[in-house]
Amino acid sequence: MSARKNTAMHTRRMLALLPYLKQGSTLKLSDLAASVGATVAEVAADLTALSYCGVPPFTPDEMIDLAIDDDTVTVYVAPPALDRPVRLAPREARALVAALEAAGYAADDPLVGKLLSAASAELDPAELAATLRAGDASAPVAGIYALLAEAIESGTKVRIGYFSAGSGVHSERVICPYALANERGAWYVNAHCESAGEVRTFRLDRIRDAENTGEHFERPAAVSASITPGGEGLPLAVLRLSPVARHTEERDWPGAAFNMKENGAVFAEVPYSSATWVARRVAAGLGTIDAIETEEVRAAVREVAQGALGQLGCPES
Amino acid sequence: MSDPGERLVNLALFLAKTPRFVSAEELRAERLGYPDDQDDAAFLRMFERDKEALRAAGIAIEVDEYESYRIDRAGTFATAVTLSAEETATVRTAVAALATDEAFPFAEDLTIALAKLGQGAPAPVAVATALADEDPRAQGSSAAVAAEGIAARKLLTFDYTNARGESRLHEVAPYGIFFREGRWYLAGLDTSIGEIRVYALKRAERVRMNPLQPKTPDFERPDWFAVADYSLHPFQYGAEPFEAVVRFSAEDAWRAPRLAGGTGEIEVQPDGTALWRVQAADARGLAAWCVEHGPGVVPLEPQAVVDTFRMGLQEVLARHER
Repeated sequence: MSARKNTAMHTRRMLALLPYLKQGSTLKLSDLAASVGATVAEVAADLTALSYCGVPPFTPDEMIDLAIDDDTVTVYVAPPALDRPVRLAPREARALVAALEAAGYAADDPLVGKLLSAASAELDPAELAATLRAGDASAPVAGIYALLAEAIESGTKVRIGYFSAGSGVHSERVICPYALANERGAWYVNAHCESAGEVRTFRLDRIRDAENTGEHFERPAAVSASITPGGEGLPLAVLRLSPVARHTEERDWPGAAFNMKENGAVFAEVPYSSATWVARRVAAGLGTIDAIETEEVRAAVREVAQGALGQLGCPES
Repeated sequence: MSDPGERLVNLALFLAKTPRFVSAEELRAERLGYPDDQDDAAFLRMFERDKEALRAAGIAIEVDEYESYRIDRAGTFATAVTLSAEETATVRTAVAALATDEAFPFAEDLTIALAKLGQGAPAPVAVATALADEDPRAQGSSAAVAAEGIAARKLLTFDYTNARGESRLHEVAPYGIFFREGRWYLAGLDTSIGEIRVYALKRAERVRMNPLQPKTPDFERPDWFAVADYSLHPFQYGAEPFEAVVRFSAEDAWRAPRLAGGTGEIEVQPDGTALWRVQAADARGLAAWCVEHGPGVVPLEPQAVVDTFRMGLQEVLARHER
């Protein structure tokens, strides 16, 4: 970060910290640091600088008086003004709208409107909608996201209707949601599934509906927000991707090794926990991707293709 | 005084504490931190920058007919926001997590926004975001510059390597940015060809904004431009658009709006199935999309897509015989 940018953030943080400094309060530096998105060292520097600030005639009662002691700060004289939050600047409002969009909230969602009307007067929502789209449009899951986020905080079980892309099956499950994760714009929840008896990852846009059961659960001490399965111990599918195939990038096949080439074709070794997931992508290649191994995946490819042809009302082969 | 932040905070506090309009000279005389040995011109330049900085921080400064200043209190202070438990949880998890995601181009502004809303404290739940898996920092940084160019209406230049591996310098009037499946894209008018193009920012290097006359726009964005029109499904890119119909089975009809992502029109039929009428431009791409998002998703029209779907799957079966 440039020196000028550092100074600008330092100033913005100092101004944002002012409403937190209530007379007589003792605050943890780590909490303040988290509140303004800074390190403890940065927030300590911000507070030190604030202790030199005030209004004329800069007598002790007109200056911010605080003392930093190890990991806390005690406020003896509060700021003489600006003791309540100021509105969001347009660029801050833009950041908030973009973040909410990334969480699945459309720009015209009531939550976005509520936050902006209270916090920002200057943002032109129409201008922003015309120029910025930070959310993945294929995942309008705001309501489900909000319900799961609250259930995680309150430790309550949730009943979901779920479509598994791996098996192609719709099911009802009760889950204990542990953590949320976003990967490439799609939201997932890591949860203990009572039906499966183990921790599973559910993609939010495949949750048909969700309902808080009101029943509480104990969250394990160690909770992971990672959704990337370990590749160790998983069977390997060997695929041949023709030069005209789609899905030929490593990001399309998580954990895959692309290490062989022959006549322009790429061979990929793909670790898999669901043969049907691999098979569906192979079938979507419409003849440009071959599953060489395993026989389990080849059988799944046949099943996916036959099923799709059947749904079209075609002879299956 | 060595810390410009202290001078700006002093200025903000003084303006907030003083109800009347105050001239620049009075402010200078209050010893808020402006150097004593500064000449008038240098002071006025610094004062202009300070006003801009305070406005950028959300402090509304009014000016009267005598070029004196005071804080617009209604425009400066936020009103209280009451959020439900679910809304609070949303802001504390997703939004707070994005503030530390390198691929999110507005992370710094977001941290300040959360601090102002009093929602910046760490969420008591595990949440992680990884918006981009390819060069997240570079994509986030390029998207941030592009967003600045869009807001200021300044031209951007960047080196771009297309899918065929060809690289050249582009000059673009940036109209909008969008995020899709882990990548940031820029839509804008390429000045060398006079057409709107979409650029994957992961393929752009050294994205920079025209530094000349920063307060004077270089271009006007057309009124009709909407970035959503450029955030397309893969099968919607192509030279010859056509209308297609995709059928979702009754069991899968609820997935139609999720997968359509706001494009086209969805009609639920009396038998519970859903028909999605959507503009497409790539028959093979649409057929592949239907297979990938199945079961329960098949093309109905046009016949070319149905044929591609059927023949492609028959080819798949032939290549995977026992």
